[in-house]
Amino acid sequence: MAVSRGALGVAIAGFGVDFKSDSAGIITILRRRYAPFIERPGRGLELAVSEGPNRREPFRPYVESAAGRLELRRGDFNAEIFSGAGRGKAAAAPNEQCLDAFLRSLISWNLLESGGLMLHSSGIALGGKAYVFPGKSGAGKSTLAKLALKAGAEVISDEINLLRPGPRGWRVYGSPFWGEMRAGGRQANWPLGGIFLLKKAAATSVLPCAPGEAFRTVMRCLVNFSRSAEVSAAALLAAGRLLAAVPARRLGFSKDSADFLELIG
Amino acid sequence: MKIKKGLAYRRVAGELFVVDAGKARLHELNGPAAVIWEGLAKNRSQAEIAAELAAQFEVGEAAALADVGDFVRELQGAGLLA
Repeated sequence: MAVSRGALGVAIAGFGVDFKSDSAGIITILRRRYAPFIERPGRGLELAVSEGPNRREPFRPYVESAAGRLELRRGDFNAEIFSGAGRGKAAAAPNEQCLDAFLRSLISWNLLESGGLMLHSSGIALGGKAYVFPGKSGAGKSTLAKLALKAGAEVISDEINLLRPGPRGWRVYGSPFWGEMRAGGRQANWPLGGIFLLKKAAATSVLPCAPGEAFRTVMRCLVNFSRSAEVSAAALLAAGRLLAAVPARRLGFSKDSADFLELIG
Repeated sequence: MKIKKGLAYRRVAGELFVVDAGKARLHELNGPAAVIWEGLAKNRSQAEIAAELAAQFEVGEAAALADVGDFVRELQGAGLLA
């Protein structure tokens, strides 16, 4: 059996992580799990990863930063990162769930730090633009994504999408974090064309949405594991800027029809 | 009476959103509640906040003061004040 120990670069939403590990298990899992997001090491955060215990508790990640040291931990991972030096170390259980939770925690932090956000949402690419549909569990994210895929649109993710502001507006980045569709995603990015709050309905419709309602939904769907007031303030600011740039509308859609694709552009 | 440390808030379209990340909760305040919150954030006394409320919402100062007291107790109950 081939041993895959060594180094592996992964880049998600423009944030690179160069994993270095003596654990063949960890490198093999990363290589398989993040295949579409692998890039040549040497351009990202240098992270030395060793195998750690697979504790179930605590389940919710702890993510805090002080004096240039970022700490991320939960039962099955423990990491400290020195952003200024561009390096850090981590101990992680050698399984996909653990490494996924670690990267979700790290990328959600990076996004908020850079003015962006990670959003529980369905995201689709159509006509060169990305459309994002925030919603909690049961809102219809995967249903809508499957309808879009069947009708020929590309699905960016049916569960978690990654948004960043840039000089020419907000962009949505390819995501490895998926829900029930369990696809791989791809490394790409699209200009954000629209944001739609979901409403299951008998007929397709697009209606205006009150700014307060849109803000509430985006805040409730925003992924942030930090408990600090500063990061909460960054989340409020990012949500406000996002909706000021791309006002949300409400999409009524039926699980039987992909008609909504004609209305969202 | 002060707002608890660790909270972040922002006004959006007339509503005030308060994030209590420690409890993973989002609170929404509007109208007089938002004015009271912002007064507390500026360390104003309840009487000063009541005067502002009376001016903005055309209510008597005595009624406004009672409203401020009620809402402060509500905020205490929700664990949002220090």
